[in-house]
Amino acid sequence: MNIVIIYLLLLKATLTSFSGMSSLPVIRGDFVLHHHLLTDRDLNTAVAAGRLGPGPIGLYVVSVGYFAAGLPGACAGWLAMITPAFLIIPMLRFIGKRAEHPRVKSMIRMMLLASAGLLISASLPMARDAVTGVVTLAILVGSFVAIAFTRIDSIWIILGSAAAGLLSLVF
Amino acid sequence: MPTLKQIAAVFFRVGNTTFGGGDPTIAVLEREFDRRGWITPEQFTLAYGLARVTPGTNVLAFAAGAAWLMAGIAGAVVAVLVITVPSAIVVVWLTRFCELGNTNRWAHAAIAGTVCAAIGTMLAAALNLARLQMLKTNLFSTVAVVFAAFVLAQTFAVSPIQILGLAAVGGLLFGAAKK
Repeated sequence: MNIVIIYLLLLKATLTSFSGMSSLPVIRGDFVLHHHLLTDRDLNTAVAAGRLGPGPIGLYVVSVGYFAAGLPGACAGWLAMITPAFLIIPMLRFIGKRAEHPRVKSMIRMMLLASAGLLISASLPMARDAVTGVVTLAILVGSFVAIAFTRIDSIWIILGSAAAGLLSLVF
Repeated sequence: MPTLKQIAAVFFRVGNTTFGGGDPTIAVLEREFDRRGWITPEQFTLAYGLARVTPGTNVLAFAAGAAWLMAGIAGAVVAVLVITVPSAIVVVWLTRFCELGNTNRWAHAAIAGTVCAAIGTMLAAALNLARLQMLKTNLFSTVAVVFAAFVLAQTFAVSPIQILGLAAVGGLLFGAAKK
């Protein structure tokens, strides 16, 4: 299939979704059911690869592109993933000009607090999967304390946690 | 204001070393910006909220928006490129790896460790966001809004966009009432 069409199909999925995985039904419809470019097993592998690596979960779109058309397909997937991100700039320009208005200020404050609640909520299901014993719980609590109450560079906390995860296999 | 090189360095490191998806990555980025004083909490919130309602991958919209606030269009392009290019290469490699049916328990253990650190970071970011607001408003309303958003998401499975939309409408009305 033409690489431009693959890009447009993937772009359709990313433009109509509002979080990492919500594009999945659209992609399944186009790539698995309609065009038969991927099997369901390929799609699951793509999702797993996207979750295993660092970076956004939406990266699985790159993997879908790779399954559909090799490396050029992966590039099309990458472009389809990043294209919608730039839509935020005109939105920021519009609201940013009105940021000093009391209503806008109050709106931002409420959204900020709601964001805090959302972060706590998003962390719970992740913790249910990730905390499998004393070591992983200790990593979670330790990193929380280090992030919240010290100014240590985040990279050291992440690397230290990876090392602690490895140590848990040894001991 | 940061240079493009500084922006590239922070987004590259955080974007490609944080496992677990968008929220932990945004949480780590927030901390790194805060440490360096690159954007105000208000700008962060605006970028975070609008990233939620931008189609596609939220963290990329957040990166584009936050970097645009710091260094214009060039900053936005640099941030999105340095976050996505290395991790996209890793994903292609992982796709081949997963296709072969390989599972490496050492890699899994290391990733599990970083996912736990990412969760700790998200909780710390939530604390940080709420702490900043506590100084401006009273404790009760701060806790009430955080708790309401948490319960709506957790118990009633209301989508983040709807919750942020409700908060925005509530804020607009509340701001009007105060005025």
